[in-house]
Amino acid sequence: MNYYVETILVYAGVDIIACLALNLQFGVSGIVNFSFIVFQAAGAYTAAVLSMPPDTASGMSFQHYVLGLQLPFPIPWLGGALVGGLLAIPVGVLLLRRLRSDYQAIALLVLSVIVNTVITNYRPLFNGAAGLSVIPPPLSERIDPYTATYQYLYVGITFVCCLLVLFVANRIVNSPYGRTLRAMREHELAASALGKNLVALKLTVFVVGGIIAGLSGAILVGFISYWAPITWLYPETIVLFAAIIVGGRGNNLGAILGGLLVPLGFEEITRFIPTGFGPPGLGPAIQWVAIGLLIIGFLWFRPKGVLPEPRRVFNEAGIEESPFMEVRAS
Amino acid sequence: MDLYIAAFGFGLVSLSVIAIAAVGFTMQFGITNVINLAYSSVMISSVYVAYAFNHAGVSIWLALIAGAIFGAVFSFLLNRVLYTPFQRKGTSLLGMVIVSLATSLMIQNVLLAIAGPYNVSYVQPSGGTIRLGAIVLTVVQVLVIGIAVVLMLAIHALLTFTRLGKAMRATAANPTLARNCGIPTSRVIDVVWLITGALCGIAGVVAGMNSDTFAVGNGPGYLITIIAAAVLGGAGQPYGAMLGAVLIGEMTELSAAAISADYKEVVAFAVLVLVMVLRPQGLLAKRGALAAAG
Amino acid sequence: MLTAREVHRHFEGMRAVDGVSIDVLPGRITGLIGPNGAGKSTFLAVLAGTLPASSGNIVFEAEVITALPAYKRARRGLVRTFQLPSEFAQLTVLENLLVAAPGNRGESLLGALLGKRYWLPDERRLVERARRLLNRFGMSAKESDYAGTLSGGQKRIVEIMRALMLRPRVLLLDEPMAGVHPSIVDEIATYLESLRDEGLTILMVEHELHMVERLCDPVIVMAQGKIIGQGPMTMLRRQREIVDAYLVG
Repeated sequence: MNYYVETILVYAGVDIIACLALNLQFGVSGIVNFSFIVFQAAGAYTAAVLSMPPDTASGMSFQHYVLGLQLPFPIPWLGGALVGGLLAIPVGVLLLRRLRSDYQAIALLVLSVIVNTVITNYRPLFNGAAGLSVIPPPLSERIDPYTATYQYLYVGITFVCCLLVLFVANRIVNSPYGRTLRAMREHELAASALGKNLVALKLTVFVVGGIIAGLSGAILVGFISYWAPITWLYPETIVLFAAIIVGGRGNNLGAILGGLLVPLGFEEITRFIPTGFGPPGLGPAIQWVAIGLLIIGFLWFRPKGVLPEPRRVFNEAGIEESPFMEVRAS
Repeated sequence: MDLYIAAFGFGLVSLSVIAIAAVGFTMQFGITNVINLAYSSVMISSVYVAYAFNHAGVSIWLALIAGAIFGAVFSFLLNRVLYTPFQRKGTSLLGMVIVSLATSLMIQNVLLAIAGPYNVSYVQPSGGTIRLGAIVLTVVQVLVIGIAVVLMLAIHALLTFTRLGKAMRATAANPTLARNCGIPTSRVIDVVWLITGALCGIAGVVAGMNSDTFAVGNGPGYLITIIAAAVLGGAGQPYGAMLGAVLIGEMTELSAAAISADYKEVVAFAVLVLVMVLRPQGLLAKRGALAAAG
Repeated sequence: MLTAREVHRHFEGMRAVDGVSIDVLPGRITGLIGPNGAGKSTFLAVLAGTLPASSGNIVFEAEVITALPAYKRARRGLVRTFQLPSEFAQLTVLENLLVAAPGNRGESLLGALLGKRYWLPDERRLVERARRLLNRFGMSAKESDYAGTLSGGQKRIVEIMRALMLRPRVLLLDEPMAGVHPSIVDEIATYLESLRDEGLTILMVEHELHMVERLCDPVIVMAQGKIIGQGPMTMLRRQREIVDAYLVG
């Protein structure tokens, strides 16, 4: 497997995991989590500092960071997922509790920008703007990361994580709990008038999403060995939103499809622009205009996405027919 | 102590810039029900339109007018081409937020491709300084304060004394009722976007005049400060936005003197969160517009 | 059953509900009428907990519930509907009912993660119950339709069925006939009568006076946030100031 293919596969896995998490929050529950990327970053930073040696160790003196516990795999990944989930609690309690949903979205957007600003300017925590580098890849003490075996292994672990997250997401979406989340998305007031505790519902789904986002960050940072504020600017969240909107809000398969197409397409689009063509900012400009047009175009022409949320039909015995049978457009 | 008095003086300039911007932003929301997250992108675009004129040899004051006209026309078109069609289609408030954020990213990145990531500045006469105790301001800064005062009085007069202003308030309170009472609400909304767009453009250019240098990347920072001021005063309320601007402007400058200028926006955000948690309807809210459902 | 004592609800100086005391009698349909802006819907929202009371007390089945949030009141059996259509549009009719049903083990996050085998027995039981309701209200054919595609009257019926899934002790209806085609108004009225005859207690805000006359006894008249009269409709019709309040309002 060449490095390019490996990179594509790992990125695709990370994006799919992130999209499944965001789909639970945005697609299923209607929580517009504009600070999603912060939770991915929390997982990445945590996994990094749990696996790195202390910053006093030789060769690390060029950067400053907390912890540096050199813990073996998979503890850093579990730690990343845990911190992603823990971070969701205060954020959820503060911002999801009383605000109207559009203000929640704005508050979360602002949070995303601000957390990035703080991490950029405060060096002792995660080395500020320069970020963390030379993060040891998981299991690198046992297997040489530059071998083909390791590449297969990393892609394999990523794939297993994808399946695990899909399993969890499917259980949630296809359960009565998921149905209540969808009801909350459709009409919050009516849901609360029917005995639904909106705060608890939002908090649980926020935490679950945070855990999965944290895991995605841990997988990514183990692969690229580098993490800095510039890798998790707030527009990264918008790319994931575009993926969900294109793939189909509320549909896990849609989230996977969007996660495969949009973020990867976004990264790859610049490959097709001949180098030296146009001003230096042209590549990113085309990327962002494409993302913006995707979002606006889909919201206008096909708001339910390529794979719309399936309609749930119950058979005579009172059992819901498998939604996978009905992925057709409605 | 002098440090803080000087910071207070800079705060006066900051709050003037924020007030112009936040009043425009909050009026867009209050009257047309769009949380226009592309506001800061229009603002930074206006900064560069003025920059283009300015560097072609036009005086900064004429460039300011160019920036205002650009902001007005651009905002008007944004609403006509994008927001109104989506609203007519029945897009939810959340959908509108997503549309405006996507738009914001597009505008900002197109501007980045055209103008480049560099720090630039206006050519403007230094004009000497004016001293008042420990407060030292440039003539330009004093003029910025003057512009803000004039604009705020003009907005007040517009809303209080003119038929247009009354139509705006009626549209804000209940668009359907306003339409039934014979108010041409879609024309009113067009005018609102022109006026608020002009405020947006002016705010951008005076922000550029007040800073040593500016860059395309400043946009999100503007947005956070504007949202903080607007929410602090009670979203959708012009007078609330003015009050919010005063508080945010002074707090950010004083905290910059006390801690570090790097955390200006963080202070704005802390205030924003506190307000959202403790008094989500804002300081001057009339109705519980911001309160959560249920 | 349901008692309100001196309930006030103020919006920034405006007294939407200004010291209202009522006793909702069990097994009856109590009507709440009055001109626009009288505070009827606001009062209903305060009873249901959608809006907090500024002052006063609400007692439900011998328990003070004034400080309880809306969802807890609903779980205790005090369930409301809304004046504007409030169906879960992207859920099917059957799902709308299932959402409302309490007692499904799969409704918690943990239950969901434990999988279908854990919650399916509950689900089947509730589907059966929901289908009985659908059958009774003549909506079986619409079971798998998205609720958002229904007519105004059908949405009303879904909302009433949805509320019934909670097995309410008191039902608070906010203009259940609003926006409903006249041919279905009579149908809804018949359903409400049969629910009353089964012993369900109902408090309903309504504008259509002949519907009120048919269904409601007693009737409470509100104007400007206060109660200005109550009793059977035939008696109220004879009271001059009440007729005036209506005509003036």
